[in-house]
Amino acid sequence: MAEPSLPLLAADCLAVIPARDEAATVGSVVVGVRAALGCQVLVVDDASTDATRAQACAAGAAALTLPLGLGAWGATQAGIRYAKRNGFAGVITLDADGQHLPESLPALFDAQRHSGAHLVIGTCVGRLSLAKRIAWRYLRLLTGLRLTDFTSGLRLYDRRAVDILAGPEASLLDYQDVGVLMLLAKQGLSIEETPVPMLPRRQGHSRVFASWWVVARYLLHTTVLCLAQLDAGRRHGHVSTGDAA
Amino acid sequence: MMLTGQITSAILGIGLTAAILFLVRRDHLHGPYAVWWFAVAAATFALGVFPTLVVWLGRVTGIVYAPVLPIIVGLSLILIRMLKLDIDRSKQERQIRRLTQKLAILEQELDRLGGRPERDPRSDIDEA
Repeated sequence: MAEPSLPLLAADCLAVIPARDEAATVGSVVVGVRAALGCQVLVVDDASTDATRAQACAAGAAALTLPLGLGAWGATQAGIRYAKRNGFAGVITLDADGQHLPESLPALFDAQRHSGAHLVIGTCVGRLSLAKRIAWRYLRLLTGLRLTDFTSGLRLYDRRAVDILAGPEASLLDYQDVGVLMLLAKQGLSIEETPVPMLPRRQGHSRVFASWWVVARYLLHTTVLCLAQLDAGRRHGHVSTGDAA
Repeated sequence: MMLTGQITSAILGIGLTAAILFLVRRDHLHGPYAVWWFAVAAATFALGVFPTLVVWLGRVTGIVYAPVLPIIVGLSLILIRMLKLDIDRSKQERQIRRLTQKLAILEQELDRLGGRPERDPRSDIDEA
């Protein structure tokens, strides 16, 4: 098991916001994050066809523009690699659609300070749909990770997690969830959850939970992924759930 | 009857061999692919022109119904080839993703350090 993580200061971290065609909301999200944390904000424009990049820059964020769409995780990883290259102490990620409230971001830093976890996930338990509840129960069983929400995009990674996730091993993952969590658990990093309030999505929709067909395909992919490293979560069975019941 | 079958297989073998040789010579098949397909071309040519080879191979390997032998071997080789293809594709996908990310990061640095006027980087991609 890895050393506990040192407390992270928001000002030393980079906020990474992956965005595809989120011009309507990305500006206000950037402004909110800057006000709540006072840290630098990086919007990773995942080959958008609208003015996402311009809106992000206008709101005071730095922007990466991916020439090819890499999906939510590919965009997030680009931000993580940027953070590593530029020496940030940690990375906080959130969605560009405005469902994560900027005021709730400091709670992740509090949870990180108290737990010394390498990854803190902000989860909204009440929001989970039936499909998600069933899927999560299955994934808990499969991975051995005791988590209530596997796909939440609201996360705080410390430097060790950033180092691991910036590597090529994480580049073929398609979602930011189980594969990423298993990779970190395999390296002995600790994962913590903290409950946060979230808004329903104003724009767009979940890329993972769009329909039952997509859910089924996602679960199949994830099952195969997990079978390849079945023991990772169990070997490091120290993943704890914070005060989220 | 026998002769017709032999002519058919010879035509198929020579045709496939010629097509592969043409592609290799035109540089449409690269490196290890070229070697693989070259071997396939040679085997197809040999079996097509000398079908008695199959009978001989069947006797050697103990397969009673010899004509099924090339089918078994062929299918196995196709499976191996497809497996290798997907392994290569995964590797390339990883490289493409990382290059895409690196490109975006370096482009941002270029803008930041070079003081290039802010513009949409996508317009560069179309020119490239």
